[in-house]
Amino acid sequence: MNFELNMTIADLLFLLPEIFLTLWLCLVLIVDFAFPRLPKEQLGYLSVVGLVVTLGCLAWFDLTHISGALFGNMFVLDRMSIFFKMFIVGASILVILASIEYVNRFAFFRGEYYFLIVMSALGMMFMASANDLLSLFVTLEFSTFGFYVLVAYLREDLASNEAGLKFFILGVFAAGLLAYGISLVYGETGKLVFSDMASAPATPGLIIGFLLIFAALGFKIGAVPFHSWIPDTYHGAPTPVTAFLSIAPKGAAIAILLRLFFVALFTFKPMWVLLLAAVSVLSMTYANIVAIAQTNIKRLLAYSGIAQIGNVLIGMAAGTKMGNDAILFYLLTYLFANIGAFAVVIAMSQAIGSEEINDYSGLNRRSPFLAFSMLLFLLSLAGVPPLAGFIGKIYIFVAAIKEGLYTLITVGLVNIVISMYYYLIVVKKMYIAEPIDPSPIRISGPMKAVVYVGLAGTLLIGIYPQPFIDWVVSATMMFSHLPAPATTALPPIPPLGG
Amino acid sequence: MGEYALLYILFAPFFGALALIFVSNRQALLVRGIAAGSAFISLMASLYLFYTYDPVRGGFQFIQRFEWSRQLGISLYLGVDGIGTPLVLASSILLFAGIFVSWHIKDRAKEFYIWILILAAATIGVFMSLDLFFLYFFYEMSVIPMYLLLGMWGSHTKKYLEMTDPEGVKQRDSVGFIFNFGSNSKEYAAMKLVLFLSAFAVAAFMGILLIYKYSGLNTFDILVLREHANLMNIPVLGTTLDKIIWVLIFFGFASIAPLWPLHSWSPVGHAAAPAATSMLHAGVLMKLGHFSIIRVAFEILPETTQELMPMAAVLCMFSIVYGGFVAYYAKDTKYVIGYSSSSHMGYVFLGMAALDYISLSGAVIYMFAHAMATGMLFSMAGWVYDQTHTRDIPSLGGLSNKMPFISACFVVGCMASIGMPGTINFIAEVMIIVGSWNKYPLQVIVAVLGIVLTMAYLFKMMRSLFYGPMDQKYSHSHDAVAFVDRLPLLIMISVSVGFGLFPMHLYNVVRSGVDPLISKITRVVPVAELQAPEAPATSLHEQLAARGAQLPEVPVSQ
Repeated sequence: MNFELNMTIADLLFLLPEIFLTLWLCLVLIVDFAFPRLPKEQLGYLSVVGLVVTLGCLAWFDLTHISGALFGNMFVLDRMSIFFKMFIVGASILVILASIEYVNRFAFFRGEYYFLIVMSALGMMFMASANDLLSLFVTLEFSTFGFYVLVAYLREDLASNEAGLKFFILGVFAAGLLAYGISLVYGETGKLVFSDMASAPATPGLIIGFLLIFAALGFKIGAVPFHSWIPDTYHGAPTPVTAFLSIAPKGAAIAILLRLFFVALFTFKPMWVLLLAAVSVLSMTYANIVAIAQTNIKRLLAYSGIAQIGNVLIGMAAGTKMGNDAILFYLLTYLFANIGAFAVVIAMSQAIGSEEINDYSGLNRRSPFLAFSMLLFLLSLAGVPPLAGFIGKIYIFVAAIKEGLYTLITVGLVNIVISMYYYLIVVKKMYIAEPIDPSPIRISGPMKAVVYVGLAGTLLIGIYPQPFIDWVVSATMMFSHLPAPATTALPPIPPLGG
Repeated sequence: MGEYALLYILFAPFFGALALIFVSNRQALLVRGIAAGSAFISLMASLYLFYTYDPVRGGFQFIQRFEWSRQLGISLYLGVDGIGTPLVLASSILLFAGIFVSWHIKDRAKEFYIWILILAAATIGVFMSLDLFFLYFFYEMSVIPMYLLLGMWGSHTKKYLEMTDPEGVKQRDSVGFIFNFGSNSKEYAAMKLVLFLSAFAVAAFMGILLIYKYSGLNTFDILVLREHANLMNIPVLGTTLDKIIWVLIFFGFASIAPLWPLHSWSPVGHAAAPAATSMLHAGVLMKLGHFSIIRVAFEILPETTQELMPMAAVLCMFSIVYGGFVAYYAKDTKYVIGYSSSSHMGYVFLGMAALDYISLSGAVIYMFAHAMATGMLFSMAGWVYDQTHTRDIPSLGGLSNKMPFISACFVVGCMASIGMPGTINFIAEVMIIVGSWNKYPLQVIVAVLGIVLTMAYLFKMMRSLFYGPMDQKYSHSHDAVAFVDRLPLLIMISVSVGFGLFPMHLYNVVRSGVDPLISKITRVVPVAELQAPEAPATSLHEQLAARGAQLPEVPVSQ
């Protein structure tokens, strides 16, 4: 191991978004302290401005193909990390917009809320670039740190405290597993950077080490059997935090899983395909069946999120570049549908103060816009055409069928039907049941913006996915060396007629 | 402009639905106007399509192709052949009629029209897809609007459990009863419909994915797959792959058709649905099943079709007889029509199973004919329900005094449904029966008895609805007098009778689609190709006269 820090100032360009966001983060905190009388939503907009600039910077990187590595390959900036950073920053922007109204609920520390959100986003941005085990550990803990506080932000609410405690204890346990796993892997190989481990022999210590690392990451993405914290934490946490928790950390952890499996462990592919397949089947089946019994919309979305991760893992189990394209595409569709659904949940919880599915009765009469948006978001999660989630699922299935993963696809298809049942129960409440209280529901401006963004993404990706597919395909260029399934050349289009 | 006909037909309802989102529900006339206008554009374009489709040239016409995703090998590939064309026409006729049938809808009218336009557009999309992905895309897209239409504007089937025969023995749909658990609400019907159809749709999709995988062509293009996909003789799980794919696709799509053991969602759904939805549901949605089987299984797996299609010939007998008997004993108008639909769909399966030029043409024409007949019956059942607020047949009666126009139309509807000469149903039925006699005489006998059964239950219903003594509580009910109320019935009747009298263009169009398909399946060179190319037919009639030597005479009434 040698850390040659012979970098130049020009190399810091690769860190530009992170450096900028760090400075902006300090600015948000300083403004919060320096102007205590400033309305706190101004801080929210201030954070959004910083995140939007960061997003623009990342888009510039993406368009100009800037890429490179820093700190002896600990930090890489490639197309995939740029994709995930944009994913995380985009999710953060939407979450902050969705929480501006909600934050008034907090008795204290309203300003720090935005700080913590952006800080977690910053941690996850580093996570998307993590390319060795040390930076994996540091960035993962850095990003989770903000969440420990955020989850327990409703101080007076017992459920929120319970959620925070549960998340913290299990999170620290997962961190312990991760550290143990890293030490085992390092002990076996003497390497930390992912790409250096590619040819390591499969010793038992190494395999156990990687299993422990996988368990820790499985905790982050909430795959069965590492999911037990999810329902309670999602339920108790402030709803915008739940929304953030259900999207951004999953994206960041998937980025690391992709690097881990396809860079460090590609020689063990036959082994981890089985592992991923088992976790995927368990996640989908368990979560979808348990979701049927939920009466709280946040718990329902929590289980739905677990099931969606099961779908993502099908794509990963395919083990091809196309599978990885499909994962990135799927996460994109999941981002819009899930943030949109949570935005509706936040708007409802602001309006009626409840998150029970029963209280969604007759939403169609109270607010046709919210009901219609929720319908589209839920159907997108279920995978109904012409919405984004359908294309995402099809993309994953097509990638998987090329590798012959028939069992996984069958389970995935059956689960679409099961999941349709519980999504339609919510639809039934919203559209078919009559409202108990027919008063119309008012939505705030920023919330409306979030819902519109969600709708636009869900419909646009569903109807015209080609630009997004091109984007994810170019984002996973680092996997283009993976063996592609053989296809015969497409014959010319036969003459029509007859 | 003409070559874009398919785009107009498909996207007019979509854009109508989109426009409706921005209209306030209070502007009732504007809402209906937009819905009717977009349906009218669609109808006009499909009439243009139908009458300019060139049956001599045959094949897929009005092709539109837009690349949609290179990586997945998907393109929005639209085109119609002789099988798709009449079904597209039937869909747009029923959509247009359905808008008028639901003209008086009060509750959330805007949403109703949005969903019904999306439903019809998705259905039309299936009939013109030449890409497996988009076929599934539109198929699946047509299911969700049904949920909302049934749930929001449907009605509970309260009498279902009390449906007893005179001796007090419960007469229920056995399969339906197993899944029913005493529930008979519209929510239940809607959920059952969606889950049932989705479950079988994903089975069909598995078949599509297997075709995609094993063809190795990286495309969903049906025309490429039917020429180049070699799926035969790949051993899998003790059988061959093509059989597995065929079974997945056949039963996946047969559930919506609905073939006998898979039918239980259908009558419950019909009964719960509002009239316009039942019309579209029974009229065209059920045909998605037959059409998709023809388009996917027949086109891509012709050899397997020949091997396994006898399965359908067995099951269709159960469909015909079972549906007919339940319809006879049912006490709910919509149940009677719903079961009669699922019984009549058995005829289509019989026509398909015989794999004969005449019988398959008959089956396709029957789909068109049945769309009109069942559309009429459902719209009238809806009218009677709107007036009397009951669908319980025994409690109704004598309504012909109050609604002479409706009862007269009902007679025509029953005649069409039975297959009276003079309606297009007659031609279709005769073609199915004549065409499948050589291969399946037993089924043909059952089918003919089924016609008798149809006559029995439809006349029974007609008698107890419109004749006999009338309960005084229905004295306030009135006839369809306004033009908008009569228009849908008049359209459907004139289409049914018009094509019954002048069926040749329809027949030619359908034959042009059926001939290449059957000749591919049975590996017999069709007559049309035996004709020397240096003797071009001067007119279509002469060409058909030349064919007539080898083919049975087309029964044309009058």
